[in-house]
Amino acid sequence: MLEVTTDWYLTLAAILFSIGFFGMMIRKNALIMFMCIELMLNAVNLTFIAASKHFGQIDGQIAVFFVLVVAAAEVVVGLAIIVSIFRKQSSASVDVLNVSRG
Amino acid sequence: MFELLIFFLPASVLIIGALIVVFAKNPVHNAMGLVMTLISLAIIYITLNATFVAMVQMLVYAGAVMTLFLFVIMMIGVDKKEQTSDSIKGQTFLVSGVFLILMSLLGYVAVNSEFSWNLWFPAVDYVVEGTPQLIAGTLFTTWIFPFEIISILLIVATAAAIALAYDSKIRNKDA
Amino acid sequence: MDFLFILPIFLPLLTAIFLFLNRKIFNELVTNFFTLNSALLSFAISFFAFVTFALDKFKPISITLYQWTRTPDITIGFTLDGLSGVMLLLVTGLSFVIQLFSTSYMEKDEKHSNYFVYFNFFVFSMLLLVMSSNFLVMFFGWELVGLSSYLLISFWSQKPAAAKAGNKAFVINRIGDFGFLIGLMIILNTFNTFDFHTVMQSSTNVSENTITTISLFLLLGAFGKSAQFPLFSWLPDAMEGPTPASALIHAATMVTAGVFMLVRISPMLQHSATASIVIISFGLLTALIAAFSAMNQYDIKKVLAYSTISQLGFMFIAIGAGAYVAAIFHLVTHAFFKALLFLGAGAVIHSMHHEQDMRKMGGLRKRMPITAGMMGIGTLAISGIPPLAGFWSKDEILASVFAKAGMANELVFSIMYYLFWALTLGAALLTAFYMGRHWLLIFEKDNGIDHSEVQEAPKAMTRPLILLGIFSIFIGFINTPFFHGLEKVLHETLENVEVTHLPEGIALVILAVLSIGAGFTGLIIAFLIFGFQLHKRINLGKFKLESPINLVKDLSSNVLYLNKFGNVFFVSGMKNFSRKVAVVVDGLIIDGSVNFISSAFGKTSKITSATQTGLVRNYVVYFGLFLILLISLFIFTPLVAQ
Repeated sequence: MLEVTTDWYLTLAAILFSIGFFGMMIRKNALIMFMCIELMLNAVNLTFIAASKHFGQIDGQIAVFFVLVVAAAEVVVGLAIIVSIFRKQSSASVDVLNVSRG
Repeated sequence: MFELLIFFLPASVLIIGALIVVFAKNPVHNAMGLVMTLISLAIIYITLNATFVAMVQMLVYAGAVMTLFLFVIMMIGVDKKEQTSDSIKGQTFLVSGVFLILMSLLGYVAVNSEFSWNLWFPAVDYVVEGTPQLIAGTLFTTWIFPFEIISILLIVATAAAIALAYDSKIRNKDA
Repeated sequence: MDFLFILPIFLPLLTAIFLFLNRKIFNELVTNFFTLNSALLSFAISFFAFVTFALDKFKPISITLYQWTRTPDITIGFTLDGLSGVMLLLVTGLSFVIQLFSTSYMEKDEKHSNYFVYFNFFVFSMLLLVMSSNFLVMFFGWELVGLSSYLLISFWSQKPAAAKAGNKAFVINRIGDFGFLIGLMIILNTFNTFDFHTVMQSSTNVSENTITTISLFLLLGAFGKSAQFPLFSWLPDAMEGPTPASALIHAATMVTAGVFMLVRISPMLQHSATASIVIISFGLLTALIAAFSAMNQYDIKKVLAYSTISQLGFMFIAIGAGAYVAAIFHLVTHAFFKALLFLGAGAVIHSMHHEQDMRKMGGLRKRMPITAGMMGIGTLAISGIPPLAGFWSKDEILASVFAKAGMANELVFSIMYYLFWALTLGAALLTAFYMGRHWLLIFEKDNGIDHSEVQEAPKAMTRPLILLGIFSIFIGFINTPFFHGLEKVLHETLENVEVTHLPEGIALVILAVLSIGAGFTGLIIAFLIFGFQLHKRINLGKFKLESPINLVKDLSSNVLYLNKFGNVFFVSGMKNFSRKVAVVVDGLIIDGSVNFISSAFGKTSKITSATQTGLVRNYVVYFGLFLILLISLFIFTPLVAQ
């Protein structure tokens, strides 16, 4: 009989993270890239929760709260940046933005 | 059997949602895929005894954050097509290379039983319920300092968002 | 009241600043009023301070204005002892007399007020130099007199020659100052202080080699400032400056700074036999070369310039012979009669409307009787005719060299010093000759040029001349074999110094007669040639003297070709060498390495900056690469079980 161990959750988190990372690399729309970042952050949250259960400690879940708040702050600022970029060039593609080119 | 089902059902929904986020062409579909992912993740949290976090996940992520995403999508417009061909030279090659190596590494870790947590960190035999009392009790005592800092961050981020999104042309027109 | 002597040092500085600030407002009369009164006040205070000091049995007074650091002991301080007291009186007194002359000489000059600003600034610097109680303040003064000398030499900077002469003086002085500075560094390193008194006291505990090294480096400075061989060629060029300034700076005071400094360090200097030999030989060489060069100059001021160099050579001879009092004595008398001669020359130049060529003068005696008379006194004084000032001091130097020969404990040294004495006597003869020629060419020899328009110089000029003339006659009595006045004044300064004393009795008389004889001989030869026109009256054709005389004349007017030699060997050689250095060392090695470094940085940064595309998705890929690295590290590092 298969038992659902912590490893399974971690593998699931890894898969989720990889999908998010893959999306980051292939998508050009800044909005979609943000969603991919959310995916990656949630993958990390999953590992925290899994570890919290594994070790029987509540601190992992507290960490999830912090990640949540940081993610919210990042989304707020990031979306504001996307809106202001969109006003300038009427496109949300990140490929045309290379002003910080070396 | 039930245990497996309660893991694999949300997990598969989660992966499908994540794939929708990455591959869907319409931004609204992407957002819906993200909602799918987040809700199924919340279900997994419940199975992991983190009920309060699951509730917050539903409310904050699937509710507030996704509303914000959808709001911006509506503002920018849904019909903006991405260019299909990659405009950066060599990006496809690099992406595939990196991704393949990353996947093979992760596969190696997942398959190899050497890296099992139970081997290295033995699991405890009791269960901690993530109830609001327990979380609040820890958050407002042990973690009070990070909590305060994170609240400052949130205020700063709000102010920054207002400053960034405020259109200076409109302001000048008003003045 | 003890520290009254500080006032005359800073009064000229205040005057200079005051005049500089008001140079646009004041006319000549007001400028003259302030500068003359300040100079007179300064002299009066100096005199008063000196009298107080004399009544206190010449006990040195020292004052420290500011303590910079304790270890090493560096202070800003001044001292009044016999040596600085004499110099204080000399500088302030001559400064007043010469400024009085200048008011007339510089009349209606465009930069009239600037002249007095520079002049007062010079007096301040010179007093800083002589009154200092340590090497540091002395060095400040040393550099500042160089600066004000430069300003006054190139005073008429619209003349290219004047600007060039100023630069030359400055550059040549730099060579000397370089040596002086190194000497100061060694002093600080050895004695851990700059204070004269402490250095002199502890100089007995230091090895002779160190003393010699210090002395030789300081000597280089003295050679530069006092225009000694081989650093003398700036002084004749310095005559481009206004004549009164030349009188004060390039005859009476600044050029004697080297002599002053050597006397100041005499307690240390006496321990080094090598330094003494170097001083006396270079002094003698300078005295001879300069006296020889003065013989065929036709510029009224250049003769005096070479004469100054020659007389400074005499002072160095005195120091080398250990006759420090004689050196200071000659410094004082020379200051008076050379200032007199310069001012007289200035009066002549003024009356001749800035004509300096002696061939265009001649027969001016009847037109300018006072000037002629006073310059005659000066000429007699410098030639060493008793009882004028020059006789006493020059005779003392000659006698000291002779005495030194007698004191030498080895025969070789004894013979050497006798030789030195004979050569010094020869230089004294030459001095009398060229000075006689100088006076005769200006005032006596008839060139057939009509000078009926020439008038006697104004009273503002003749009065200083008369004053200096009187001093030139009588100043010699301050230190005669019968009355050792100056020696008493300098007693405290030269404490513990072994001063060479004059021979006693009949030897002294014979020496004096010889020295007088040399003076008279020189003057008589000059008179026979330039006054009596001997070579025209008797037929010398059969002796075929034409070519040797021409050779001597040629050598004399070209200063033994020393300048040309210097130009060819040092200036051109240095130029070629530095050009090669510029190409090889600077161009290839230094520039090459610097360029290589910069281009290497440029190339690598170009390569690395290519990775900074500015595109977010590229950065995501980099992120992935580092993720791979991190996971690989995690996987392939052996794990340790808890």
